[in-house]
Amino acid sequence: MSFIHPLALVGLAAAAIPALLHLLQRRIPPEIDFPPVRYLSVAERESARRLKLRHLLLLILRTALIVVIVLAAARPLVPLRGGGAHQPTAVVIILDNSPSSGAVVDGGLVLDRLRVAAISAVGRTTFADRVWLMLCDGVLRGGGREALLATIDSTHTGWQRLDLVQAVERAARMVNAQPLAGREVHLFSDLQSTALSSSHADVPSGVRVLALAPGRAVANRGIAAVTVSEGAAVIELSGSMAGNGGTPQPVPVTIRLGGERRDRGEVTARGLATPGSDRAGGMPRSAVTVPLPAQSLTPGWWVGEAALEPDELRADDRRPFAWRVAPPAPVTATATAGSFVAAALAVLQDGRRVVAGRDVVISGGEAPTGSHAIVQPPADPALVGQANRALAARGVPWRWTQLGTPGVIASSDLAVLTGVSVVRRYRIEGAASREQGADGVLATVNGEPWLVRSGDVVLLGSRLDTAWTALPAAPGFVPFVDALVNRIVMGEAAVASAEGAPRVEFRTRGADTIGATVFGPDARESDLTPTTTALATSALGGKDRVEVLSAERLAGERFSGTRRSDASGLLLVLALLLAATELGVATRTR
Amino acid sequence: MAQRLDLLDPADVARLGGIEIVAEGVVEGFLAGVHRSPFRGFSVEFTEHRAYQAGDELRYLDWRILGRSDRLFVKQFEEETNLRAMILVDASRSMAWQGAPERLTKRAYADRLAAAVALILLRQRDATGLVTFDEHVRQVVPARVKAGQWTRIVRGLLDTPDGQGTAAHAALQRLTALLTRRGLVVLLSDLLFDRELALTALRYLRHRGHQVVVFHLMDPAEVELSGPPEVRFRDPESSVSVVVRPRELARAYADTVRREIAAWRKACRRHGIGYHHVQTNMPFGLALRLLT
Repeated sequence: MSFIHPLALVGLAAAAIPALLHLLQRRIPPEIDFPPVRYLSVAERESARRLKLRHLLLLILRTALIVVIVLAAARPLVPLRGGGAHQPTAVVIILDNSPSSGAVVDGGLVLDRLRVAAISAVGRTTFADRVWLMLCDGVLRGGGREALLATIDSTHTGWQRLDLVQAVERAARMVNAQPLAGREVHLFSDLQSTALSSSHADVPSGVRVLALAPGRAVANRGIAAVTVSEGAAVIELSGSMAGNGGTPQPVPVTIRLGGERRDRGEVTARGLATPGSDRAGGMPRSAVTVPLPAQSLTPGWWVGEAALEPDELRADDRRPFAWRVAPPAPVTATATAGSFVAAALAVLQDGRRVVAGRDVVISGGEAPTGSHAIVQPPADPALVGQANRALAARGVPWRWTQLGTPGVIASSDLAVLTGVSVVRRYRIEGAASREQGADGVLATVNGEPWLVRSGDVVLLGSRLDTAWTALPAAPGFVPFVDALVNRIVMGEAAVASAEGAPRVEFRTRGADTIGATVFGPDARESDLTPTTTALATSALGGKDRVEVLSAERLAGERFSGTRRSDASGLLLVLALLLAATELGVATRTR
Repeated sequence: MAQRLDLLDPADVARLGGIEIVAEGVVEGFLAGVHRSPFRGFSVEFTEHRAYQAGDELRYLDWRILGRSDRLFVKQFEEETNLRAMILVDASRSMAWQGAPERLTKRAYADRLAAAVALILLRQRDATGLVTFDEHVRQVVPARVKAGQWTRIVRGLLDTPDGQGTAAHAALQRLTALLTRRGLVVLLSDLLFDRELALTALRYLRHRGHQVVVFHLMDPAEVELSGPPEVRFRDPESSVSVVVRPRELARAYADTVRREIAAWRKACRRHGIGYHHVQTNMPFGLALRLLT
């Protein structure tokens, strides 16, 4: 219990007044002659018990009356579970307006539900409170109640993902630094399981975290990423299966090219992706490869957009992408490069994907020449040492060592390589540290580097010959050679991705376009599966500090740690009752 | 019409003069309202019957009634002469108390009432005497009917100072030895002494054949307790004191006084003793009428 006017409690000393008056009055009573004292003595003896009881009762009543009046003057604030004012509280209201809050559940936006709860929370604050508002951008906004209410009212679904663990931790640190009686963090979020990082929020003791329980889960499918290579777009899907009974459904995907580059015209391609059950980063992921029209191989920068059929969350149904098609590289293959390489280059030359020239030289173990070199191991093992010395002379940190075990190629950069078997290979080891060498690994066999790049030199672990690998006989061999000479060895234009409203921004240097940034929502936002209360409680600070509550219970619990009601009115009523009782005892018991 | 002093406030009447003047004025007024002697004794003129009490002479028993109904009654006769009356006045210290300055002290009231009674009796040619006492017998005026007797009685009252003592019952016991011839005994006292001891003495008088009448004098302030919020009341006789809050104790005190009066009345009735409770604000005429 606390008091609005604690200094008034000094008046409690007045509670001794009745006892003091009693003692002082007893000290000097006037003396009067009165012959029938014997009658008095009899009367007093007969009434002694009643009088003592009366005196004690009156003393208690009068003392209690003064105490109650003084307490009422001090205006005590008593804890309440229901309504009532609360003590000054530092509170951060986290309104998670991340892209997932744009989902439509039961006919309404999730954000609308969160916004109503946040407005209610801000509305319960007083001028003595210190209130901040955090949106999905993670910025703590201070200000008056009206300003915060206006901000919440005008808040729309954002494009940034909010890591709830980090957000709660920051908010908790902020309120914990405030010298106020109460410290609370109110979290209004859809509590996606993907919004909770694997770490746990460090919430100081004394800080309460009240989280709004998530609503109903809905199914959603979104485009996580789009990459373009070798005339095809690889579209990765992400999302949650809730509501579909966990059964993957085919998802139609539409690719639209040149949407923002009208000078290139607009082409459309369609594909049907069946989500798989593989998971990446804790999310179910699937990918579909959609062949692009031939005109998309025209050299230059391309932009496109992948789109899904609209569902409950529209923010992730479209995602732009960009890529650069380099001009045909001038390529020469040495005699030791092999017949399969020569044949592939002939095909590419016919398709005007390469031209004759010496910018790129494909060799079979000789010292790399030309500005860009693609080097296969020598067919004669005795020449491996010589080839390694030549690579070292070129400044390449990689070298061939002994023969490796057969296996299957795995590559995330070159999809056409994945799954192709290798029967003979040299193990490639970095001359420098493993970490430095690992940066240039493009494909592996049995976890060991098979295709590496260092500057303008690319090394293969096997010769491009069917005696070494099945790749020359695979359908993807020509696209592989195309990617090798046009993209990998020549260096790719940097296409970065970032969170934000879906768009593509190009980076320029002078008149040249040197890169692009593709903006879109975080792929993790597509998974609308809410976390469990136990997980949320554990991740956001522990069960002794975190409560995940329904909207009604949260409304009752917020500020309850410091909620107080002015009990002075009640005390005044009690004082009146005591005064009436005192009057009754004083008059009716004579 | 001239006012009758016997019906006025005693304090107002007392301001008219000394005991003699007051008593004479009271008696004049009182006698103007009656035509015959109010005091009944045993003479030749029959008036009524009353129940026999221990001490009554057997010669006055009504044998006819005894024979008819087997109940004891004595005949009463209107007194004509030869009534011997002795007036006993308590002069103890407690009698010198008054509850308010505008009222008479109990002693002053008793003196004036005694003088009036004596005057009435003497005018009827009854031998009347006076005894004043506190813890000792202070004044004794033997019962006579000769001229100047009333003056002697009044002087006896005036010559008796307010007493010092308290044990009045002891004096009462000694008085019984002085009252050898039976007659009327009138006791004027505040009865602030041991009731049983006093009753023993009075019962003895009654046993000796006296007709005994007790006037229990009380100041109105002794009946209804009042005073400051808290006060130490001290008994002027015994110096015993008690601290009380009059407002708290008023009801219990009043109950106690009522019980005490009732106890006196009951005890006196049981022994054939006349008992009258008189407050000092009662007009003398009303008090005298109690004797009739």
